[in-house]
Amino acid sequence: MTITRRDLIKAGVAAGTALSMPSVLRAQPSPDDARTVRMVMSDLTVFDPIRSTADITRMHGFAIYDTLFALDSKLAPQPQMVENWDVSEDRKSYTFELRDGLNYHDGSPVTAADCVASIRRWAQVDAGGKLIMARARDISKKDEKTFTIALKEPLGILVDALVEGLYLPIMRQKDADRPATEPVTSNIGSGPFIFNEALAKPGASFTYDCNEKYVPRQERPDGFAGAKVVKVDSVIWQNIADQQTALAALQAGETDFVLEPPADLYPVIESDPDLELQVLSKGGSTLYVRMNFLQPPFHNVKARQAMLHLIDQEAFLGVMHPDPRYTQTVTSIFANSPLYSNDENTEWFKKGGDPEKARQLFQEAGYAGEKIIILQPTDWAAGSNASQLLAASLRKIGVSAELAPMSWSELAARRANKGSIEDGGWNIFIADYSIANPISAAFLRANGNEAWFGWPKNDDYEALRAKWADVDTLAERQALARKMQGIWWDFVGGVFLGHAVQPTAHRKALTGLLEVPGAYGFPMWNMQKTS
Amino acid sequence: MAAYILRRVVSTIAVMAVVGIFIFLLLRLAPGDPATIIAGREATAEMIAGIRERLGLNEPLPVQFVHWALGILGGDFGNSIFTGRPVLQLISRRLEPTISLSILTMILSVSVGVSFGILAAWRSGGLVDRFLAAFSALGYSVPVFVIGYFLIYFFAIKMHWLPVQGYVPIDGGLGPWFVHLVLPTVALSLGYIAFIARVTRASMLEVLSEDYMRTAAAKGASSYAMLFHHALKNAGVPILTVIGISFAYLIGGVVLTETVFNIPGIGRLVVDAINNRDYPIIQSVLILTSGLYVLINLTVDLAYTLINPRIRY
Repeated sequence: MTITRRDLIKAGVAAGTALSMPSVLRAQPSPDDARTVRMVMSDLTVFDPIRSTADITRMHGFAIYDTLFALDSKLAPQPQMVENWDVSEDRKSYTFELRDGLNYHDGSPVTAADCVASIRRWAQVDAGGKLIMARARDISKKDEKTFTIALKEPLGILVDALVEGLYLPIMRQKDADRPATEPVTSNIGSGPFIFNEALAKPGASFTYDCNEKYVPRQERPDGFAGAKVVKVDSVIWQNIADQQTALAALQAGETDFVLEPPADLYPVIESDPDLELQVLSKGGSTLYVRMNFLQPPFHNVKARQAMLHLIDQEAFLGVMHPDPRYTQTVTSIFANSPLYSNDENTEWFKKGGDPEKARQLFQEAGYAGEKIIILQPTDWAAGSNASQLLAASLRKIGVSAELAPMSWSELAARRANKGSIEDGGWNIFIADYSIANPISAAFLRANGNEAWFGWPKNDDYEALRAKWADVDTLAERQALARKMQGIWWDFVGGVFLGHAVQPTAHRKALTGLLEVPGAYGFPMWNMQKTS
Repeated sequence: MAAYILRRVVSTIAVMAVVGIFIFLLLRLAPGDPATIIAGREATAEMIAGIRERLGLNEPLPVQFVHWALGILGGDFGNSIFTGRPVLQLISRRLEPTISLSILTMILSVSVGVSFGILAAWRSGGLVDRFLAAFSALGYSVPVFVIGYFLIYFFAIKMHWLPVQGYVPIDGGLGPWFVHLVLPTVALSLGYIAFIARVTRASMLEVLSEDYMRTAAAKGASSYAMLFHHALKNAGVPILTVIGISFAYLIGGVVLTETVFNIPGIGRLVVDAINNRDYPIIQSVLILTSGLYVLINLTVDLAYTLINPRIRY
């Protein structure tokens, strides 16, 4: 067989055609693309906001459900579904009236009975909600648009409780009548987005369509409060597990937004003229060391104080979040809260980093070389790295620290064990929490066996925490915050490793993203794509 | 033959049962459970306990096993603990991407790999043979994710020829379906091409040195007839075995490619389910995959009889 020049030309044309085919076949941008925002989010697996504290579930809730109140950029509760509310002179009776135009995605109107059922369901799980129920004499609807909460004793924190802590979505009564442990089976709310069931692809993508019948408030958007105006037709949440691929998709314009780009990709993002980093959840999270108060050596306050002296937050932040622009050291138990952060009783340990003092305090605590087990969450990079550094820091001062590597799921099971090390117990684990009030933040409780894992106990502190629910004004709470912090750092309920915020990455063409003061996600309304 | 097939099908059911018991125990005896993941990192012990109770995770293991096994026997593989959707529905939605990717990969791997192998054997020691040796070393040693990232960078980001990621179902258009699978198919195929080509070359070399090949040449048979009518048929059994194993391996082993190219296939489903401890999904996929694996092997065994009539069951 001989190959002629004509054959070569034919082959060249064929090859050229074949190579150009993909760009011909590839979907060309349509006008609809400008009205559709694609966002790389983490995998949404739990849809009921009452069943999970996960940020992604909360964001799903923000999209499809509406709330009675919402926090503005200064963390102040503002009416959202509520038009008017009033409290009686004796502060024992609250009346809430819903605004006009509130309808569920199935067309049915939002009623006061829905709100009552939703509050009751939420209160089965949320600490603030439980407090309301403990004080409540009656929660009932007055008419179709009005409901009341009658209390046995005044509860100054009532309105704050409705908006802080676990997200309180207002659902149809038939959904909200389910026990909190049973998930709702529909995704029908009255929020600004409608969950598109037909396009739901678990593990791959979820689509939220604009609720064109939603009636927004008149006030301008401010944090989660104000007008929820959706300026796009649809938002598609993509689950791209590989962060490198997610960034490539962002660069290629196949997605508009990446929720949590890893720090080592920040330089790539910042060098691309079409992309930018932006912190949307200003609250961030504080990583801390939780010690087991029930087991030696941390049943002794001296050993807990030793940890405060030992930990150099800057070193820990270096291994947890490599980019210092997004981290800060923190000494207040209220972290970077603009409302409650303070410097009470922090002078004595400053920001740690004094191993000699720590060694001395461990000796004073009677530490005799027993093994200290640190639960290391290997599937959470920041927590895993911090655990390793903590173990190394402890070993340097002669403490026999041993890492117990495991997944977060295994850690969550083992940390519930109150027994000794020999019985499968533990001494230390690392976790994070986000700014909140001491009623809803489980980490900030110190009521012994009723407290969060680690079970710290301090009655004086708890008495002040109980008062938090009763006082009415911000100034009173700020004074309480100082007193509580003073006691906390005496008994050392936990030790901080530092504070970090997570920037998101998005194409510059995506504008109008709202920055919010909290830490649990951000709203999707108000954003739009510009050409 | 019929008795043989029947015996193999029965053994398949036995294999699936053993896999089922093993996976059930492995998952339940491992520390951690879905309740802790559903509740989230800041959950209280009370919240976790409530979810665990509702999921029935507090029931004794034998009771849980019986519930599950009876369901399977009745054709009910259960619902996902997280999404609440039927497991079979979730699996069926993920089958198309994985099967599409696997079939395209096998077509590319077999056509290129066998051709390379034949050429290399025919011109043993020549340029093609040396190229194949170098290509094989590359195909074996470079991880699929490195090849994937390179292809994405060059063909998607720099040249803008192909999409970075994602999958379009075949009913969304043959063009978009194919275009989204080009890069993952190429990335995944390189290793298989190298493997199949090496086996084909070795097998062909052995046959080409047989007396009957020399006789065929002496009788004036053309190169084409010698290679494809005489040599390839006789070298076919080991090649077919390798192709069968590769295909079975592909079905369960595409997870890395699916992750890099964000293809919502079975591999991703299992990995996500394992991370979430979504027991019904993990158990069902592994049981079905083990059955599929055994059936592919059975198909390969039966195909031997077509290539080599001397093989009888």
